[in-house]
Amino acid sequence: MNGARQALLLAQWQLRRQSTMLPLLVVVQTAIAVATVVGYGLLVGDPPPEVAVFLATGAPTVTLISVGLVMTPQMLAQSKLEGSLDWMRTLPVPRVVFLLSDLAVWTLLALPGMVLGVVAGVMRFDLELSVAPWILVAVLVISLTAASVGYGMASVLPPALAMIMTQLLIFVVLLFSPISYPAERMPDWLQQAHEVLPIEPMAQLMRAGLVDDTFSVPGRSLVVLAAWTAVSVGGALMALRRRA
Amino acid sequence: MTQQQEVLSIRGLSKRYRGRRGVQANDGIDLDVLPGQVVGLLGHNGAGKTTLVNQVVGLVRPDAGSITLAGVDAVARPDEARRLASIQAQANVPITGLSPRSAIELVGRIRGGERRAVQARTRELVETLDIGAWADVPAQKISGGVARLTAFAMTAVHPGRLVVLDEPTNDVDPVRRRLLWRAIRELADDGAGVLLVTHNVREAESVVDHLVVLDRGRVIAADSPGGLAAGLRGTLTVELDVVPGAQIAWPATVRDVTRERLRATATVPAEAAADVVRWAQGLVETGTVERYSLTAASLEDVYVRLVGDSGGGAHDPDGATTDARTADAVLGGAA
Repeated sequence: MNGARQALLLAQWQLRRQSTMLPLLVVVQTAIAVATVVGYGLLVGDPPPEVAVFLATGAPTVTLISVGLVMTPQMLAQSKLEGSLDWMRTLPVPRVVFLLSDLAVWTLLALPGMVLGVVAGVMRFDLELSVAPWILVAVLVISLTAASVGYGMASVLPPALAMIMTQLLIFVVLLFSPISYPAERMPDWLQQAHEVLPIEPMAQLMRAGLVDDTFSVPGRSLVVLAAWTAVSVGGALMALRRRA
Repeated sequence: MTQQQEVLSIRGLSKRYRGRRGVQANDGIDLDVLPGQVVGLLGHNGAGKTTLVNQVVGLVRPDAGSITLAGVDAVARPDEARRLASIQAQANVPITGLSPRSAIELVGRIRGGERRAVQARTRELVETLDIGAWADVPAQKISGGVARLTAFAMTAVHPGRLVVLDEPTNDVDPVRRRLLWRAIRELADDGAGVLLVTHNVREAESVVDHLVVLDRGRVIAADSPGGLAAGLRGTLTVELDVVPGAQIAWPATVRDVTRERLRATATVPAEAAADVVRWAQGLVETGTVERYSLTAASLEDVYVRLVGDSGGGAHDPDGATTDARTADAVLGGAA
Protein backbone atom coordinates (compact mmCIF):
# COMPACT_ATOMS: atom_id res chain seq x y z
CA MET A 1 0.00 0.00 0.00
CA ASN A 2 1.54 3.24 -0.96
CA GLY A 3 2.29 5.89 1.62
CA ALA A 4 0.98 8.84 -0.39
CA ARG A 5 -2.47 7.27 -0.70
CA GLN A 6 -2.52 6.54 3.01
CA ALA A 7 -1.42 10.09 3.80
CA LEU A 8 -4.25 11.51 1.69
CA LEU A 9 -6.81 9.23 3.34
CA LEU A 10 -5.56 10.14 6.80
CA ALA A 11 -5.62 13.84 5.93
CA GLN A 12 -9.18 13.36 4.75
CA TRP A 13 -10.03 11.71 8.07
CA GLN A 14 -8.50 14.56 10.09
CA LEU A 15 -10.04 17.30 7.95
CA ARG A 16 -13.49 15.77 8.13
CA ARG A 17 -13.12 15.27 11.87
CA GLN A 18 -12.43 19.02 12.12
CA SER A 19 -15.22 19.94 9.72
CA THR A 20 -17.61 20.97 12.50
CA MET A 21 -14.85 23.20 13.88
CA LEU A 22 -13.80 24.71 10.56
CA PRO A 23 -16.21 27.65 10.51
CA LEU A 24 -15.13 28.57 14.03
CA LEU A 25 -11.50 28.20 13.05
CA VAL A 26 -11.94 30.65 10.19
CA VAL A 27 -13.80 33.09 12.45
CA VAL A 28 -10.99 32.99 15.01
CA GLN A 29 -8.35 33.45 12.32
CA THR A 30 -10.23 36.41 10.93
CA ALA A 31 -10.52 37.90 14.39
CA ILE A 32 -6.79 37.56 14.94
CA ALA A 33 -5.99 39.10 11.56
CA VAL A 34 -8.34 42.02 12.09
CA ALA A 35 -7.15 42.49 15.67
CA THR A 36 -3.55 42.65 14.52
CA VAL A 37 -4.22 45.17 11.77
CA VAL A 38 -7.02 47.33 13.16
CA GLY A 39 -6.27 46.86 16.86
CA TYR A 40 -2.58 47.77 16.58
CA GLY A 41 -3.56 50.62 14.32
CA LEU A 42 -5.67 52.00 17.18
CA LEU A 43 -2.78 51.54 19.61
CA VAL A 44 -0.32 53.55 17.54
CA GLY A 45 -2.78 56.13 16.24
CA ASP A 46 -2.65 57.03 12.57
CA PRO A 47 0.48 55.14 11.55
CA PRO A 48 3.03 56.57 9.07
CA PRO A 49 3.52 54.43 5.92
CA GLU A 50 6.60 52.51 7.19
CA VAL A 51 4.73 51.47 10.37
CA ALA A 52 1.63 50.60 8.36
CA VAL A 53 3.65 48.25 6.16
CA PHE A 54 4.88 46.40 9.22
CA LEU A 55 1.38 46.08 10.62
CA ALA A 56 -0.15 44.92 7.36
CA THR A 57 2.57 42.40 6.54
CA GLY A 58 2.68 41.19 10.14
CA ALA A 59 -0.98 40.22 10.27
CA PRO A 60 -0.75 37.22 7.90
CA THR A 61 2.29 35.95 9.81
CA VAL A 62 0.44 36.26 13.10
CA THR A 63 -2.48 34.20 11.78
CA LEU A 64 -0.20 31.51 10.38
CA ILE A 65 1.74 31.30 13.63
CA SER A 66 -1.33 31.31 15.82
CA VAL A 67 -2.79 28.34 13.96
CA GLY A 68 0.51 26.46 14.01
CA LEU A 69 1.69 27.28 17.51
CA VAL A 70 -1.64 27.53 19.28
CA MET A 71 -4.40 25.61 17.52
CA THR A 72 -2.29 22.69 16.32
CA PRO A 73 -0.97 21.84 19.80
CA GLN A 74 -4.42 22.35 21.32
CA MET A 75 -5.99 19.90 18.88
CA LEU A 76 -3.20 17.38 19.38
CA ALA A 77 -3.40 17.68 23.17
CA GLN A 78 -7.15 17.14 22.89
CA SER A 79 -6.75 14.05 20.74
CA LYS A 80 -4.26 12.72 23.28
CA LEU A 81 -6.75 13.32 26.09
CA GLU A 82 -9.74 11.78 24.32
CA GLY A 83 -7.69 8.72 23.36
CA SER A 84 -8.00 9.12 19.63
CA LEU A 85 -4.25 9.63 19.14
CA ASP A 86 -3.49 6.26 20.74
CA TRP A 87 -6.09 4.60 18.57
CA MET A 88 -4.70 6.22 15.42
CA ARG A 89 -1.28 4.96 16.45
CA THR A 90 -2.64 1.39 16.23
CA LEU A 91 -3.48 1.85 12.54
CA PRO A 92 -1.12 0.23 10.05
CA VAL A 93 0.32 3.58 8.97
CA PRO A 94 4.04 4.35 9.12
CA ARG A 95 4.69 7.07 11.72
CA VAL A 96 6.26 9.37 9.13
CA VAL A 97 3.17 9.20 6.93
CA PHE A 98 0.96 9.90 9.92
CA LEU A 99 3.00 12.95 10.93
CA LEU A 100 3.23 14.35 7.41
CA SER A 101 -0.50 14.07 6.80
CA ASP A 102 -1.24 15.81 10.11
CA LEU A 103 1.23 18.58 9.31
CA ALA A 104 -0.28 18.98 5.85
CA VAL A 105 -3.74 19.38 7.39
CA TRP A 106 -2.58 22.08 9.81
CA THR A 107 -0.50 23.84 7.20
CA LEU A 108 -3.56 24.08 4.94
CA LEU A 109 -6.00 25.04 7.70
CA ALA A 110 -3.96 28.15 8.42
CA LEU A 111 -4.18 29.50 4.88
CA PRO A 112 -7.66 31.13 4.83
CA GLY A 113 -6.76 33.28 7.85
CA MET A 114 -3.51 34.29 6.22
CA VAL A 115 -5.26 35.50 3.10
CA LEU A 116 -7.76 37.42 5.25
CA GLY A 117 -4.86 38.98 7.13
CA VAL A 118 -3.36 40.34 3.92
CA VAL A 119 -6.73 41.59 2.68
CA ALA A 120 -7.45 43.33 5.99
CA GLY A 121 -4.04 45.06 5.97
CA VAL A 122 -4.28 46.26 2.40
CA MET A 123 -7.77 47.61 2.92
CA ARG A 124 -7.05 49.34 6.20
CA PHE A 125 -3.82 51.04 5.19
CA ASP A 126 -4.38 51.36 1.47
CA LEU A 127 -1.05 49.71 0.67
CA GLU A 128 0.58 48.80 -2.61
CA LEU A 129 2.08 45.31 -2.35
CA SER A 130 4.78 43.96 -4.62
CA VAL A 131 4.20 40.25 -4.26
CA ALA A 132 7.20 38.01 -4.94
CA PRO A 133 6.70 35.02 -7.25
CA TRP A 134 7.86 32.70 -4.44
CA ILE A 135 5.22 33.90 -1.96
CA LEU A 136 3.33 30.60 -2.04
CA VAL A 137 6.46 28.67 -1.13
CA ALA A 138 7.21 31.15 1.64
CA VAL A 139 3.71 30.82 3.06
CA LEU A 140 3.96 27.05 3.04
CA VAL A 141 7.37 27.14 4.72
CA ILE A 142 6.11 29.46 7.46
CA SER A 143 2.96 27.47 8.02
CA LEU A 144 4.82 24.16 8.02
CA THR A 145 7.41 25.42 10.49
CA ALA A 146 4.74 26.80 12.81
CA ALA A 147 2.70 23.59 12.61
CA SER A 148 5.82 21.46 13.20
CA VAL A 149 6.89 23.45 16.24
CA GLY A 150 3.36 23.33 17.67
CA TYR A 151 3.00 19.64 16.90
CA GLY A 152 6.41 18.82 18.29
CA MET A 153 5.65 20.74 21.47
CA ALA A 154 2.32 18.97 22.03
CA SER A 155 3.87 15.58 21.21
CA VAL A 156 6.61 15.91 23.77
CA LEU A 157 4.78 17.73 26.57
CA PRO A 158 1.93 16.34 28.69
CA PRO A 159 -1.42 17.65 27.33
CA ALA A 160 -2.18 19.98 30.24
CA LEU A 161 1.24 21.63 30.02
CA ALA A 162 0.97 21.94 26.25
CA MET A 163 -2.35 23.76 26.64
CA ILE A 164 -0.82 26.24 29.08
CA MET A 165 2.17 26.79 26.79
CA THR A 166 -0.15 27.75 23.95
CA GLN A 167 -1.78 30.43 26.11
CA LEU A 168 1.63 31.81 26.92
CA LEU A 169 2.82 31.66 23.33
CA ILE A 170 -0.08 33.70 21.97
CA PHE A 171 1.04 36.62 24.15
CA VAL A 172 4.65 36.25 23.11
CA VAL A 173 3.63 36.14 19.47
CA LEU A 174 1.18 39.04 19.59
CA LEU A 175 3.11 41.45 21.81
CA PHE A 176 6.70 40.43 22.30
CA SER A 177 7.76 39.40 18.84
CA PRO A 178 9.13 41.55 16.01
CA ILE A 179 6.30 40.67 13.66
CA SER A 180 4.19 43.81 13.54
CA TYR A 181 6.98 46.20 14.50
CA PRO A 182 10.75 46.29 13.87
CA ALA A 183 13.05 44.32 16.21
CA GLU A 184 14.98 47.48 17.21
CA ARG A 185 12.11 48.53 19.45
CA MET A 186 12.63 45.56 21.72
CA PRO A 187 15.12 45.37 24.59
CA ASP A 188 18.49 43.86 23.66
CA TRP A 189 17.98 40.57 25.45
CA LEU A 190 14.68 39.99 23.65
CA GLN A 191 16.29 40.86 20.32
CA GLN A 192 18.98 38.28 21.02
CA ALA A 193 16.40 35.68 21.98
CA HIS A 194 14.58 36.29 18.71
CA GLU A 195 17.76 35.68 16.78
CA VAL A 196 17.48 31.99 17.62
CA LEU A 197 13.67 31.72 17.75
CA PRO A 198 11.74 30.98 14.55
CA ILE A 199 9.26 33.86 14.86
CA GLU A 200 11.31 36.74 13.45
CA PRO A 201 12.49 34.74 10.42
CA MET A 202 8.86 33.87 9.65
CA ALA A 203 7.93 37.56 9.76
CA GLN A 204 10.88 38.49 7.56
CA LEU A 205 10.03 35.85 5.01
CA MET A 206 6.40 36.95 4.82
CA ARG A 207 7.30 40.65 4.63
CA ALA A 208 9.82 40.08 1.85
CA GLY A 209 7.31 37.93 0.00
CA LEU A 210 4.59 40.58 0.12
CA VAL A 211 6.71 43.71 -0.39
CA ASP A 212 9.48 42.29 -2.51
CA ASP A 213 10.87 45.67 -3.64
CA THR A 214 11.58 46.95 -0.10
CA PHE A 215 12.41 43.95 2.10
CA SER A 216 14.64 40.91 1.82
CA VAL A 217 15.29 37.80 3.87
CA PRO A 218 18.70 37.27 5.53
CA GLY A 219 20.09 33.84 4.70
CA ARG A 220 20.58 33.22 8.39
CA SER A 221 16.82 33.40 8.93
CA LEU A 222 16.23 30.61 6.46
CA VAL A 223 18.76 28.46 8.30
CA VAL A 224 17.03 29.15 11.62
CA LEU A 225 13.65 28.22 10.11
CA ALA A 226 15.01 25.01 8.61
CA ALA A 227 16.64 24.06 11.90
CA TRP A 228 13.41 24.57 13.87
CA THR A 229 11.41 22.56 11.35
CA ALA A 230 13.93 19.71 11.42
CA VAL A 231 14.14 19.59 15.22
CA SER A 232 10.35 19.79 15.61
CA VAL A 233 9.60 17.12 13.02
CA GLY A 234 12.28 14.91 14.60
CA GLY A 235 10.87 15.45 18.09
CA ALA A 236 7.30 14.74 16.99
CA LEU A 237 8.43 11.62 15.15
CA MET A 238 10.28 10.35 18.20
CA ALA A 239 7.24 11.01 20.39
CA LEU A 240 5.00 9.14 17.93
CA ARG A 241 7.38 6.19 17.78
CA ARG A 242 7.92 6.10 21.51
CA ARG A 243 6.70 3.01 23.32
CA ALA A 244 5.76 3.43 26.98
CA MET B 1 -2.39 -27.30 19.36
CA THR B 2 0.60 -26.66 17.15
CA GLN B 3 -0.45 -28.28 13.86
CA GLN B 4 -1.74 -24.86 12.89
CA GLN B 5 0.59 -21.89 13.19
CA GLU B 6 -0.58 -19.48 15.91
CA VAL B 7 -1.57 -16.06 14.66
CA LEU B 8 -0.52 -14.72 18.05
CA SER B 9 1.96 -16.35 20.36
CA ILE B 10 3.06 -14.65 23.57
CA ARG B 11 5.70 -16.10 25.85
CA GLY B 12 6.89 -14.87 29.23
CA LEU B 13 5.60 -11.36 28.64
CA SER B 14 6.44 -8.98 31.48
CA LYS B 15 5.94 -5.26 31.85
CA ARG B 16 6.48 -3.07 34.85
CA TYR B 17 5.42 0.57 34.86
CA ARG B 18 7.96 2.64 36.69
CA GLY B 19 7.17 5.59 38.87
CA ARG B 20 6.51 6.15 42.50
CA ARG B 21 4.00 3.34 42.70
CA GLY B 22 5.57 0.94 40.22
CA VAL B 23 3.02 -1.55 38.93
CA GLN B 24 3.85 -5.00 37.61
CA ALA B 25 1.18 -4.86 34.89
CA ASN B 26 2.16 -8.11 33.15
CA ASP B 27 4.09 -10.84 34.89
CA GLY B 28 5.24 -13.73 32.73
CA ILE B 29 2.19 -14.11 30.49
CA ASP B 30 1.90 -16.98 27.98
CA LEU B 31 -0.96 -16.83 25.50
CA ASP B 32 -1.78 -18.27 22.06
CA VAL B 33 -4.44 -17.43 19.53
CA LEU B 34 -4.99 -19.72 16.54
CA PRO B 35 -6.54 -18.68 13.25
CA GLY B 36 -10.30 -19.21 13.47
CA GLN B 37 -10.25 -19.11 17.23
CA VAL B 38 -11.89 -16.65 19.62
CA VAL B 39 -9.83 -16.37 22.78
CA GLY B 40 -11.44 -14.58 25.70
CA LEU B 41 -9.19 -12.55 27.96
CA LEU B 42 -10.86 -12.03 31.32
CA GLY B 43 -9.78 -10.05 34.31
CA HIS B 44 -10.68 -7.17 36.57
CA ASN B 45 -9.78 -3.58 35.93
CA GLY B 46 -6.06 -3.37 36.44
CA ALA B 47 -5.46 -7.06 35.75
CA GLY B 48 -3.15 -6.13 32.88
CA LYS B 49 -5.40 -6.72 29.86
CA THR B 50 -4.95 -3.37 28.16
CA THR B 51 -1.20 -3.39 28.80
CA LEU B 52 -1.06 -6.76 27.07
CA VAL B 53 -2.96 -5.44 24.06
CA ASN B 54 -0.84 -2.29 23.85
CA GLN B 55 2.31 -4.38 23.70
CA VAL B 56 0.96 -6.41 20.80
CA VAL B 57 0.54 -3.28 18.64
CA GLY B 58 3.70 -1.55 19.77
CA LEU B 59 2.30 1.22 21.95
CA VAL B 60 4.05 -0.24 24.98
CA ARG B 61 7.46 -1.94 25.02
CA PRO B 62 7.71 -5.12 27.09
CA ASP B 63 10.48 -5.53 29.67
CA ALA B 64 10.85 -9.23 28.88
CA GLY B 65 9.25 -11.95 26.81
CA SER B 66 8.30 -12.36 23.18
CA ILE B 67 5.29 -11.56 21.02
CA THR B 68 5.05 -13.33 17.67
CA LEU B 69 2.33 -12.19 15.31
CA ALA B 70 1.87 -14.48 12.30
CA GLY B 71 5.53 -15.37 12.47
CA VAL B 72 6.70 -11.76 12.88
CA ASP B 73 8.55 -10.57 15.99
CA ALA B 74 6.14 -7.82 17.07
CA VAL B 75 8.51 -6.34 19.65
CA ALA B 76 11.30 -5.78 17.12
CA ARG B 77 9.00 -4.77 14.25
CA PRO B 78 5.99 -2.86 15.60
CA ASP B 79 5.17 -1.37 12.17
CA GLU B 80 4.81 -4.85 10.73
CA ALA B 81 2.76 -5.95 13.75
CA ARG B 82 0.27 -3.16 13.16
CA ARG B 83 -0.20 -4.32 9.60
CA LEU B 84 -1.16 -7.76 10.89
CA ALA B 85 -3.50 -6.73 13.68
CA SER B 86 -6.60 -4.57 13.94
CA ILE B 87 -7.66 -3.16 17.27
CA GLN B 88 -10.91 -1.94 18.73
CA ALA B 89 -9.85 0.19 21.66
CA GLN B 90 -11.70 0.20 24.94
CA ALA B 91 -12.50 3.90 24.66
CA ASN B 92 -14.69 4.90 21.75
CA VAL B 93 -12.86 6.63 18.96
CA PRO B 94 -14.44 10.07 18.48
CA ILE B 95 -15.74 10.37 14.92
CA THR B 96 -17.47 13.76 15.11
CA GLY B 97 -17.62 15.30 11.66
CA LEU B 98 -18.10 11.91 10.02
CA SER B 99 -21.03 9.52 9.77
CA PRO B 100 -20.68 5.91 10.91
CA ARG B 101 -20.60 4.75 7.29
CA SER B 102 -17.97 7.25 6.17
CA ALA B 103 -15.85 6.49 9.24
CA ILE B 104 -16.00 2.74 8.61
CA GLU B 105 -15.16 3.16 4.93
CA LEU B 106 -12.29 5.57 5.53
CA VAL B 107 -10.69 3.35 8.14
CA GLY B 108 -11.12 0.33 5.87
CA ARG B 109 -9.23 2.13 3.14
CA ILE B 110 -6.56 3.46 5.50
CA ARG B 111 -6.05 -0.14 6.58
CA GLY B 112 -5.35 -0.97 2.95
CA GLY B 113 -8.72 -2.11 1.65
CA GLU B 114 -9.69 -1.46 -1.95
CA ARG B 115 -12.55 1.08 -2.32
CA ARG B 116 -15.24 -1.18 -3.80
CA ALA B 117 -14.49 -4.07 -1.46
CA VAL B 118 -14.54 -1.74 1.54
CA GLN B 119 -17.88 -0.24 0.51
CA ALA B 120 -19.43 -3.68 0.08
CA ARG B 121 -18.05 -4.91 3.39
CA THR B 122 -19.29 -1.76 5.13
CA ARG B 123 -22.81 -2.35 3.78
CA GLU B 124 -22.62 -5.91 5.03
CA LEU B 125 -21.51 -4.89 8.53
CA VAL B 126 -24.11 -2.11 8.79
CA GLU B 127 -26.74 -4.68 7.92
CA THR B 128 -25.38 -7.40 10.20
CA LEU B 129 -25.24 -5.03 13.18
CA ASP B 130 -28.59 -3.44 12.28
CA ILE B 131 -27.34 0.14 12.44
CA GLY B 132 -28.66 1.16 9.01
CA ALA B 133 -30.91 3.83 10.53
CA TRP B 134 -27.84 5.72 11.82
CA ALA B 135 -25.30 4.83 9.16
CA ASP B 136 -25.51 8.19 7.42
CA VAL B 137 -26.33 10.38 10.41
CA PRO B 138 -23.64 12.79 11.68
CA ALA B 139 -21.74 11.10 14.49
CA GLN B 140 -22.54 13.79 17.03
CA LYS B 141 -26.15 12.57 16.90
CA ILE B 142 -25.62 8.87 17.49
CA SER B 143 -25.89 7.02 20.80
CA GLY B 144 -23.04 5.40 22.69
CA GLY B 145 -24.19 1.96 21.63
CA VAL B 146 -24.19 2.82 17.94
CA ALA B 147 -20.77 4.48 18.36
CA ARG B 148 -19.51 1.25 19.92
CA LEU B 149 -20.88 -0.85 17.06
CA THR B 150 -19.34 1.60 14.59
CA ALA B 151 -15.97 1.17 16.32
CA PHE B 152 -16.34 -2.58 15.96
CA ALA B 153 -17.17 -2.22 12.27
CA MET B 154 -14.13 0.05 11.81
CA THR B 155 -12.04 -2.82 13.15
CA ALA B 156 -13.78 -5.57 11.20
CA VAL B 157 -14.11 -3.81 7.86
CA HIS B 158 -10.63 -4.85 6.76
CA PRO B 159 -9.52 -7.15 9.55
CA GLY B 160 -5.93 -8.12 10.17
CA ARG B 161 -4.85 -11.72 10.78
CA LEU B 162 -5.38 -10.88 14.45
CA VAL B 163 -8.39 -8.88 15.63
CA VAL B 164 -8.30 -7.50 19.16
CA LEU B 165 -11.59 -6.34 20.63
CA ASP B 166 -11.49 -4.53 23.96
CA GLU B 167 -14.93 -4.63 25.61
CA PRO B 168 -16.87 -4.53 22.32
CA THR B 169 -20.32 -4.91 23.90
CA ASN B 170 -20.17 -1.94 26.29
CA ASP B 171 -23.22 0.34 25.89
CA VAL B 172 -24.74 -1.93 23.22
CA ASP B 173 -28.40 -2.85 23.63
CA PRO B 174 -29.29 -6.52 24.30
CA VAL B 175 -30.68 -7.20 20.82
CA ARG B 176 -27.69 -5.82 18.96
CA ARG B 177 -25.37 -7.47 21.44
CA ARG B 178 -26.47 -10.81 20.03
CA LEU B 179 -25.87 -9.56 16.51
CA LEU B 180 -22.45 -8.36 17.60
CA TRP B 181 -21.52 -11.70 19.16
CA ARG B 182 -22.53 -13.38 15.93
CA ALA B 183 -20.40 -10.96 13.91
CA ILE B 184 -17.43 -11.67 16.17
CA ARG B 185 -17.88 -15.39 15.67
CA GLU B 186 -18.03 -14.84 11.91
CA LEU B 187 -14.74 -12.93 11.98
CA ALA B 188 -13.08 -16.01 13.41
CA ASP B 189 -14.93 -18.37 11.09
CA ASP B 190 -13.52 -16.34 8.19
CA GLY B 191 -10.04 -17.16 9.43
CA ALA B 192 -8.95 -14.35 11.75
CA GLY B 193 -7.70 -15.02 15.25
CA VAL B 194 -9.77 -13.00 17.69
CA LEU B 195 -8.58 -11.86 21.09
CA LEU B 196 -11.60 -10.70 23.03
CA VAL B 197 -11.03 -8.62 26.14
CA THR B 198 -14.17 -8.55 28.23
CA HIS B 199 -15.81 -8.40 31.62
CA ASN B 200 -18.95 -9.88 30.20
CA VAL B 201 -18.18 -13.50 31.01
CA ARG B 202 -21.75 -14.62 30.77
CA GLU B 203 -22.31 -13.51 27.19
CA ALA B 204 -18.82 -14.31 25.94
CA GLU B 205 -19.28 -17.90 27.09
CA SER B 206 -21.18 -18.91 23.99
CA VAL B 207 -18.65 -17.38 21.60
CA VAL B 208 -15.18 -18.10 22.92
CA ASP B 209 -13.20 -21.24 22.16
CA HIS B 210 -10.61 -20.64 24.80
CA LEU B 211 -10.38 -18.51 27.90
CA VAL B 212 -7.45 -16.91 29.64
CA VAL B 213 -8.03 -15.40 33.06
CA LEU B 214 -5.62 -12.66 34.15
CA ASP B 215 -5.21 -11.47 37.68
CA ARG B 216 -2.59 -8.96 38.76
CA GLY B 217 -0.64 -9.47 35.58
CA ARG B 218 -0.53 -13.27 35.77
CA VAL B 219 -2.43 -15.97 33.92
CA ILE B 220 -4.31 -17.79 36.68
CA ALA B 221 -6.30 -20.07 34.40
CA ALA B 222 -6.37 -20.98 30.72
CA ASP B 223 -8.66 -23.60 29.24
CA SER B 224 -11.72 -24.13 27.09
CA PRO B 225 -15.00 -22.92 28.66
CA GLY B 226 -15.97 -26.56 29.25
CA GLY B 227 -12.62 -27.36 30.82
CA LEU B 228 -12.81 -24.39 33.15
CA ALA B 229 -16.34 -25.24 34.20
CA ALA B 230 -15.53 -28.93 34.76
CA GLY B 231 -14.83 -28.33 38.44
CA LEU B 232 -18.33 -26.96 38.86
CA ARG B 233 -20.13 -29.85 37.21
CA GLY B 234 -23.01 -31.03 39.37
CA THR B 235 -23.44 -27.59 40.84
CA LEU B 236 -25.95 -24.86 40.24
CA THR B 237 -25.99 -21.14 40.74
CA VAL B 238 -28.66 -19.35 42.68
CA GLU B 239 -29.15 -15.72 41.85
CA LEU B 240 -31.25 -13.35 43.93
CA ASP B 241 -32.54 -9.88 43.11
CA VAL B 242 -32.39 -8.40 46.58
CA VAL B 243 -34.60 -5.63 47.91
CA PRO B 244 -32.38 -2.60 48.70
CA GLY B 245 -30.87 -2.83 52.16
CA ALA B 246 -32.05 -6.37 52.89
CA GLN B 247 -29.68 -8.82 54.61
CA ILE B 248 -29.53 -12.37 53.31
CA ALA B 249 -29.01 -15.28 55.68
CA TRP B 250 -27.65 -18.00 53.41
CA PRO B 251 -28.27 -21.70 53.98
CA ALA B 252 -25.18 -23.66 55.04
CA THR B 253 -25.17 -25.74 51.86
CA VAL B 254 -24.23 -22.88 49.52
CA ARG B 255 -20.70 -21.74 48.68
CA ASP B 256 -18.97 -18.82 46.98
CA VAL B 257 -21.39 -16.16 47.98
CA THR B 258 -21.06 -12.86 46.20
CA ARG B 259 -23.13 -9.84 46.98
CA GLU B 260 -23.57 -6.66 45.07
CA ARG B 261 -26.04 -4.04 46.18
CA LEU B 262 -29.11 -5.52 44.54
CA ARG B 263 -27.84 -8.86 43.36
CA ALA B 264 -26.49 -11.85 45.23
CA THR B 265 -25.25 -15.16 43.87
CA ALA B 266 -24.01 -18.40 45.37
CA THR B 267 -23.04 -21.89 44.25
CA VAL B 268 -25.43 -24.67 45.17
CA PRO B 269 -24.69 -28.44 45.08
CA ALA B 270 -27.25 -30.16 42.85
CA GLU B 271 -28.58 -32.31 45.70
CA ALA B 272 -29.40 -29.19 47.77
CA ALA B 273 -31.24 -27.51 44.90
CA ALA B 274 -34.74 -28.34 46.10
CA ASP B 275 -34.03 -26.98 49.57
CA VAL B 276 -32.54 -23.80 48.20
CA VAL B 277 -35.56 -23.25 45.94
CA ARG B 278 -37.83 -23.52 48.94
CA TRP B 279 -35.58 -21.17 50.92
CA ALA B 280 -35.49 -18.62 48.10
CA GLN B 281 -39.24 -18.85 47.58
CA GLY B 282 -39.58 -18.08 51.31
CA LEU B 283 -37.48 -14.94 50.85
CA VAL B 284 -39.71 -13.83 47.99
CA GLU B 285 -42.77 -14.32 50.15
CA THR B 286 -41.28 -12.35 53.05
CA GLY B 287 -40.35 -9.57 50.62
CA THR B 288 -36.57 -9.77 51.14
CA VAL B 289 -36.00 -10.85 47.55
CA GLU B 290 -37.86 -9.73 44.45
CA ARG B 291 -37.08 -12.76 42.33
CA TYR B 292 -34.62 -15.62 42.22
CA SER B 293 -33.31 -18.05 39.67
CA LEU B 294 -31.43 -21.32 39.81
CA THR B 295 -29.28 -22.22 36.81
CA ALA B 296 -26.47 -24.58 35.91
CA ALA B 297 -23.13 -23.17 37.08
CA SER B 298 -21.79 -20.73 34.50
CA LEU B 299 -18.40 -19.53 33.49
CA GLU B 300 -19.05 -16.38 35.43
CA ASP B 301 -19.12 -18.50 38.58
CA VAL B 302 -15.84 -20.10 37.60
CA TYR B 303 -14.36 -16.68 37.00
CA VAL B 304 -15.57 -15.27 40.28
CA ARG B 305 -14.15 -18.27 42.13
CA LEU B 306 -10.80 -17.93 40.38
CA VAL B 307 -10.21 -14.26 40.93
CA GLY B 308 -12.03 -14.37 44.24
CA ASP B 309 -9.52 -16.94 45.48
CA SER B 310 -6.44 -15.00 44.53
CA GLY B 311 -7.73 -11.47 44.29
CA GLY B 312 -9.05 -10.98 47.80
CA GLY B 313 -12.24 -9.02 48.30
CA ALA B 314 -11.18 -5.83 46.58
CA HIS B 315 -13.83 -6.23 43.89
CA ASP B 316 -16.63 -6.92 46.33
CA PRO B 317 -17.40 -3.45 47.62
CA ASP B 318 -20.27 -4.40 49.86
CA GLY B 319 -18.35 -7.19 51.52
CA ALA B 320 -19.20 -10.87 51.32
CA THR B 321 -21.93 -12.13 53.54
CA THR B 322 -19.81 -14.91 54.96
CA ASP B 323 -21.02 -14.36 58.49
CA ALA B 324 -24.60 -14.83 57.56
CA ARG B 325 -24.22 -17.90 55.44
CA THR B 326 -23.57 -20.19 58.38
CA ALA B 327 -26.87 -19.22 59.88
CA ASP B 328 -29.22 -21.96 58.72
CA ALA B 329 -32.18 -20.78 60.69
CA VAL B 330 -33.80 -19.34 57.58
CA LEU B 331 -33.29 -22.52 55.62
CA GLY B 332 -34.83 -24.49 58.44
CA GLY B 333 -37.75 -22.12 58.53
CA ALA B 334 -38.32 -22.17 54.79
CA ALA B 335 -37.94 -25.92 54.57
